[in-house]
Amino acid sequence: MTELASTTALRATMDAYYRSLADAALRGTAPVAWCTSVGPAELLRALGFAVHFPENHAAIMGAARTANRYLPLAHAQGYSQDICSYLTSDIGAYLAGESPLKAYGLERAPKPDVLVFNTNQCRDVRDWFEWYGRELGVPVIGLHSPRAIDDVTERDIDAVTKQLESLVAPLEQIAGARLDDARLASATRASRDTADLWGACLETASARPAPLTFFDGTIHMGPAVVLRGTEDAPAYYRQLLAELRQRVESRVGAVPGETLRLYWDGMPVWGRLRALSTMFAEFDTAVVASTYCNSWAFAGLDPADPWRSVSRALLELFIVRSEAPKERYIARMVEFYDVDGVIFHDCRTCSSNSNTRYGMPGRITERLGIPTLVLDGDVNDLRCFSDEQARTNIEGFVEQLTDARVATAARGPR
Amino acid sequence: MPDNSSGIAAGVDVGTECVKAVVITDAGRTLGRSVLPTRGYFQVCAYEALTAALHDAGSRLKELAGVGATGFGMASVPGATVTVMESAAHARGAFHHMPHAMTLANIGGGDPHVIAVDATGGQTGARGMRRCAVGVGSFLTLAARRLDVGAAQLDELADAAAGDAAVVTSYCSVFSASEVLERLREGATREQVALGCVRSVAQRVLELGSFTDPVVVSGGVAEYFPGVLRALESLLGLRVTTLPEPIYTGAFGAALAAFSERGGRPVLRVVDHAGGALY
Repeated sequence: MTELASTTALRATMDAYYRSLADAALRGTAPVAWCTSVGPAELLRALGFAVHFPENHAAIMGAARTANRYLPLAHAQGYSQDICSYLTSDIGAYLAGESPLKAYGLERAPKPDVLVFNTNQCRDVRDWFEWYGRELGVPVIGLHSPRAIDDVTERDIDAVTKQLESLVAPLEQIAGARLDDARLASATRASRDTADLWGACLETASARPAPLTFFDGTIHMGPAVVLRGTEDAPAYYRQLLAELRQRVESRVGAVPGETLRLYWDGMPVWGRLRALSTMFAEFDTAVVASTYCNSWAFAGLDPADPWRSVSRALLELFIVRSEAPKERYIARMVEFYDVDGVIFHDCRTCSSNSNTRYGMPGRITERLGIPTLVLDGDVNDLRCFSDEQARTNIEGFVEQLTDARVATAARGPR
Repeated sequence: MPDNSSGIAAGVDVGTECVKAVVITDAGRTLGRSVLPTRGYFQVCAYEALTAALHDAGSRLKELAGVGATGFGMASVPGATVTVMESAAHARGAFHHMPHAMTLANIGGGDPHVIAVDATGGQTGARGMRRCAVGVGSFLTLAARRLDVGAAQLDELADAAAGDAAVVTSYCSVFSASEVLERLREGATREQVALGCVRSVAQRVLELGSFTDPVVVSGGVAEYFPGVLRALESLLGLRVTTLPEPIYTGAFGAALAAFSERGGRPVLRVVDHAGGALY
């Protein structure tokens, strides 16, 4: 596995983001808003907020394998082991007086002036922000989005747009600035460019061999999450896209000797990214695409109509949808990326993003004739993940897929 | 010799790992004690533990003012004149030894509880562990077996790790036990894994809720695995102490209850499922 050269630029981009966030929090260079990862970031950027994304903060703890130090502190406050381990590790870290952003001078997550949620992904984000709202005496506002939507209707978009507009007055008051329509259009354009470029980066993995894997994607998606609405994100993705296209042209795969190709649905297991990436590579298997990384490739953002296009984009996301459109989405991905199988991560503490609990893997297998594997684990709580079980299950799955390939080859072309 | 015929009582705590029995005076002095593994027919275990404690005390059944029963199998105690919920028995037993408000952590073989005890000895709250995380003492016993030492040596083994613990993460005892094998296969030493197990249990207890000073621990884990107390102390940043003979705290509390809630003279009769007399 060869690291992408763009990783250096990625580190610089993320480093600059965290520095600006720390400047805002410590030196008051800008008001600070916290935003859920698929919340109204464009509006916050247009109003001049420095934007902190607690999910990113928690994911860093997961990847650094420090989350399990903090989880018990939140559990002891009555926050269950079954709810979002992003939430519990982040609150636990706050209670411990620690932050992975210490290198930037932040002893704790940057103190917010306002907390802005969107319930399109789950209820936990609101509960998470409300804990901080009580703790810090900071206003908590947000969007109450419908969930499990079949088709996104104009009524759904109207409802969210009205809520989005109603955030302006309180946010203007907190920011001490009036919303400038041109800045909102500009932030929406930057988000659109980010989404399009990030989507194009991910689509390069349809090539054989794939130039990047899901595991690379979870790292390189950073700017698409935390720098939406800024020009820094598209600047980075132009560079990444050029490198990936070069890899495709040169037939350089992320997994040398790529034989099998898989799709990953559900959350990453942050504390086991490297271990899983290495394990799949050992099996000459590339996990080429995922629902997760694609979630920030928003569709249809329009600077000429920021309100409705942002509302629509936030509603059309996979996680907001019912089983039928989710299954159609996975079917399209399976076909586009030409994968041999689908892994569903049953994330113990994230029911909203575990598509294993209402029979979907079985339906996908039946409908598409493609094998699926359900992998038990968690996004941050490593107590819910067994290396041994994961290896046994993945080994068995790879063997099953390999046997199927051999059998198909023996039958010859139809 | 017993103090007098109405001045002694017994307590029997039927836990998931062990049955504990004590015979005490009404002044709270322990005259006899017994601990036996919980197995097979609970009534027989309880009978054997109670008679062994009586023997240890040099007392006879007819001298008892009452028998208090507590623990997961309290309904199986033959001759029980009173039954006491486990948390209440531990609170009562602990308060006798330390008559002040405290956070009491009862950490036994099965289902640990963190109990808030007020300045009068009353239990003002208790929080137990989720079902899939119970069995902490049993887990440590099993881990000791995997590490090829007796349960009593696990703590010593953990001490030899000199603070360098292998990561044992799971809150599920069965899951944790398989992690023990995984860590060994990965090359961790038995000492490192032993310390990892001890810390894993302390972490599970920490999650049970708010601890306020002073923190006191009762139960078999405090008796056999005091390293858990040190790990808990380190996680909490509070001093953690234990009680005299902590494995008997529940039985002791139940015996105290037998004095105050007299339910007639105990009659020891152990019957099988068909009603036939065994003892």
